Amino acid sequence: MEFSWLERLSLFRFALLASFTAGLVCPLVGAFLWLRRTSFYGITLPQFSAAGVVLGYVCLPWWITTIGLGGLSLDEALGDPHTIMNYLLAWAALACLAGLAALVWLGRRGRGSETGRVAAAFALATAATYVFGRLSPVGQSHVEELLHGEVLGVGSHECETIVFVLLLVLALLLLFRRELALVSFDPEFARVLQKRVLALEVLLHCLCTLTVAAGTIIVGPTMLFGLLVLPPLAARPFARSMGAFLALSSGAGLLAALLGTTLSFQADLPLGAAIVASAGLTLLPAALRRASA
Amino acid sequence: MTTATPCEPLIRLRSAAFGYGARRVVSGIDLEIAPGRFLGIVGPNGSGKTTLFRGLLGLVPPLEGSCARTGRAVIGYVPQRESLDASFPLTVREVVEMGTYQRLGRLRRPAAEDLALVDEWIERVGLAPQRTRPFAELSGGQRQRALLARALVTRPDVLLLDEPTSGVDRGAQEQILALLSELHRGGLAILLVSHQLSLVRRFVEEVLVVADGRVQQGTPVELLTPERLELLFGAGAGGD
Repeated sequence: MEFSWLERLSLFRFALLASFTAGLVCPLVGAFLWLRRTSFYGITLPQFSAAGVVLGYVCLPWWITTIGLGGLSLDEALGDPHTIMNYLLAWAALACLAGLAALVWLGRRGRGSETGRVAAAFALATAATYVFGRLSPVGQSHVEELLHGEVLGVGSHECETIVFVLLLVLALLLLFRRELALVSFDPEFARVLQKRVLALEVLLHCLCTLTVAAGTIIVGPTMLFGLLVLPPLAARPFARSMGAFLALSSGAGLLAALLGTTLSFQADLPLGAAIVASAGLTLLPAALRRASA
Repeated sequence: MTTATPCEPLIRLRSAAFGYGARRVVSGIDLEIAPGRFLGIVGPNGSGKTTLFRGLLGLVPPLEGSCARTGRAVIGYVPQRESLDASFPLTVREVVEMGTYQRLGRLRRPAAEDLALVDEWIERVGLAPQRTRPFAELSGGQRQRALLARALVTRPDVLLLDEPTSGVDRGAQEQILALLSELHRGGLAILLVSHQLSLVRRFVEEVLVVADGRVQQGTPVELLTPERLELLFGAGAGGD
């Protein structure tokens, strides 16, 4: 049965809203990761979150019998989208925060190369995801969906969650963008100005954690790190100011979401992968500009 | 601006020692930076002048003694431009505007009068035509002037500069130094670290010589004699 464009837009409205919101906001977080020369965190942190989610499933039976989850049984919890979403979001956020804290701490100790650390972390987190997945007594289908990142399966509750989280991240990023840029560009000058540098660093890491945790669960790790990494790379050669860099990064992310949706509907391709492929296409103008420079 | 009285020092060190971890780099420092003074810090590489400078900025806490700012004395800081990442997509105006971030208003935005101050200082350091250019595209001297404008936008009581003329051509050096002299005549206290002794002799009123973890204070005539310089820096250290 063929669906018209309008029918598809209606049928997949939650998935599209989630994708476009991710396309708008994730590149802004990725832009700050790029500025701080930690772009690769955008690839590794979603893997930590994915491992956290799967570990959450492994621990779910124990959690329900020992700590309790709103008084629900295991089957009730698995069938309640609100409860299971909030539970998994917490695991995703904790795992992401733990991974981020470890990378930052190891970076400050200055041992080994940053690229090596991030690559090792990515490998370990990916392996942990699959190992925990095999150990998980429940939620196998959910785990597989997570690993494949089936965005079209996003329902109303997931959409509400990711839109709320990402709009909160957007509001805080826009509100504190000047100070976040300052502590990223010249942290010593920020300290001399008696700005609360540590608080601002924690804020940025928390915004990154929220984005990665919600994004991993709802749009999947692949689409998430595609939107964190690729749009800022596409935007940078054309940006002559901080404002332009942030706007162009977000614009490239939205363009990728639009192109990816079109590609997915026209060619019947997975939405998440189509969006990432489209984000890759937005790199072409940047590559041409660099080649001509 | 500070609430200190005209004679009250802006920064006061009492038997201060600075270092990293348990290692003292400089110690036994008694120093007062009063309003309107112009000081230079000199010393051979590894002598501790950068550590002392960072202590005065508040970036390194004292291991002994005390380092206090009077009232709410505002420090303007001009770092070495090489310490900054030139790949950041910032315009000259965005860099200078950072000096207003200690006074952000509603919705964390600079007030209109602060934005006017930004434009005024960009004009005064001679960068008005470059205000919308990326910071990374400026020459060394232009970047240094942008960082100076950023520090002046903080409305400082004392200006601390780290090697402000390092790697800058002669013409740009003269521009920067002329501006510093003008600011000093206007009453601003200035302290700069420099290895360019000719600059120090020409402009500063007092010198802090850092050597072997100790600090000596005096005028350039007293402390920058050929004999002392040879002792500190080796043969041929009389000029730049």
